[in-house]
Amino acid sequence: MLKVWGRANSSNLKKVTWLCEEMGLPYERIDAGMAFGVVGTPEYRKLNPNGLVPTIDDDGFILWESNAIVRYLAAKHSAGKLWPNDLEARADSDRWMDWCAATLWPAFRPVFWNRIRTPAEKRNQAEIDAGIKSTGEVLSRLDARLAGRKFVGGEELTMGDIAFGPIVYLVQNVMPEKPNLPNYEAWYSRISERPAFRKTVALPIA
Amino acid sequence: MLRVWGRINSVNVKKVMWCVGELGVPFERIEAGMEHGVVGSAEYQSMNPNARVPTIDDDGFVLWESNAIVRYLSLKYGLGTLCPKDQRQRADSDRWMDWSTAQLAPTFREVFWGTVRTAPEKRDLALIEKNRAATAKTLDIVDALFAKRPFVSGDHLTMGDIPLGCHVHLWMSMPIERPAHPSLTAYHKRLLGRPGFNAGVNTPLS
Repeated sequence: MLKVWGRANSSNLKKVTWLCEEMGLPYERIDAGMAFGVVGTPEYRKLNPNGLVPTIDDDGFILWESNAIVRYLAAKHSAGKLWPNDLEARADSDRWMDWCAATLWPAFRPVFWNRIRTPAEKRNQAEIDAGIKSTGEVLSRLDARLAGRKFVGGEELTMGDIAFGPIVYLVQNVMPEKPNLPNYEAWYSRISERPAFRKTVALPIA
Repeated sequence: MLRVWGRINSVNVKKVMWCVGELGVPFERIEAGMEHGVVGSAEYQSMNPNARVPTIDDDGFVLWESNAIVRYLSLKYGLGTLCPKDQRQRADSDRWMDWSTAQLAPTFREVFWGTVRTAPEKRDLALIEKNRAATAKTLDIVDALFAKRPFVSGDHLTMGDIPLGCHVHLWMSMPIERPAHPSLTAYHKRLLGRPGFNAGVNTPLS
């Protein structure tokens, strides 16, 4: 069976578990990271020299980097669905995975870090304010993309949505100061109502 | 013909230039970004709402996000060469693209901007040093990798080498202190032996 290392509330781990639940793929999850440790052990570092989660073991094939794991598992188990067969449709979905990692997350990270992982007396309000402003700005581009589309890639859920899920779940719960983004909000309702999302992504934030 | 928008001194444009060079795909490059402007025009932003470079137009298919572009071009024009046919080997290569974006680029960028794009009297030396040390430590991981294999996923250059190789070249070319990293240095020399790399990546820093 597929083995997945990572604490359940890690955003990067959630991409993998949400994907597996959407595909009905059985997996065994092993707690690792933060309070659970494990990632600092020589055994784990042999699997993943970065000491980060998630890592997977798929019948002896070890892989890390959450978006690469999503692409690999979606290609293997969901070609034509979560992994579009058409080359252009696939690249169109794929780029939003990169965009989420390279544009949305860096904008939002200071808001998350200060509000959730920093004691109140040590929070940097200037960082929070700047983060709110830039997160709102980049989300407006996603909102424009979602105009006339049910999901990031079009009519159906694809891997591009999977990479977003755990990050936008944090945005929705940590940053109420969003601009008015009707297409984004409608999309968020669609993805967050999915049973697989509720089971794997909508967990207490820590 | 494939059209590529972006200034050649952008690390993200270099990825695409090197990729098309390796693939032997004819292309036309259009200057855009920084002193060239263009990215602020309504026309450009209708292609790429992020107003960043690169963007490509491949016979009417418009795509942005440099790693997604490299994946798309490698699969379309380089199946069996830049894009491994085997699913596991492809994922093994692919993850280094995500790794370069998520683990390497954030600290690297601070060193590059501080050293190459900031006037000496305006440099934040403490910030540069902190990020230089962090980048050096991150690169320990690929130095160890290249002690075991010549390219990220084995004996041949694949798409996973492209984002990494672009960053490694800039790192090795900046006037900064670097750890010995003998295997990474040998990797850089291997890349410098490739015409596609020299044409697309090995240009003056600015």
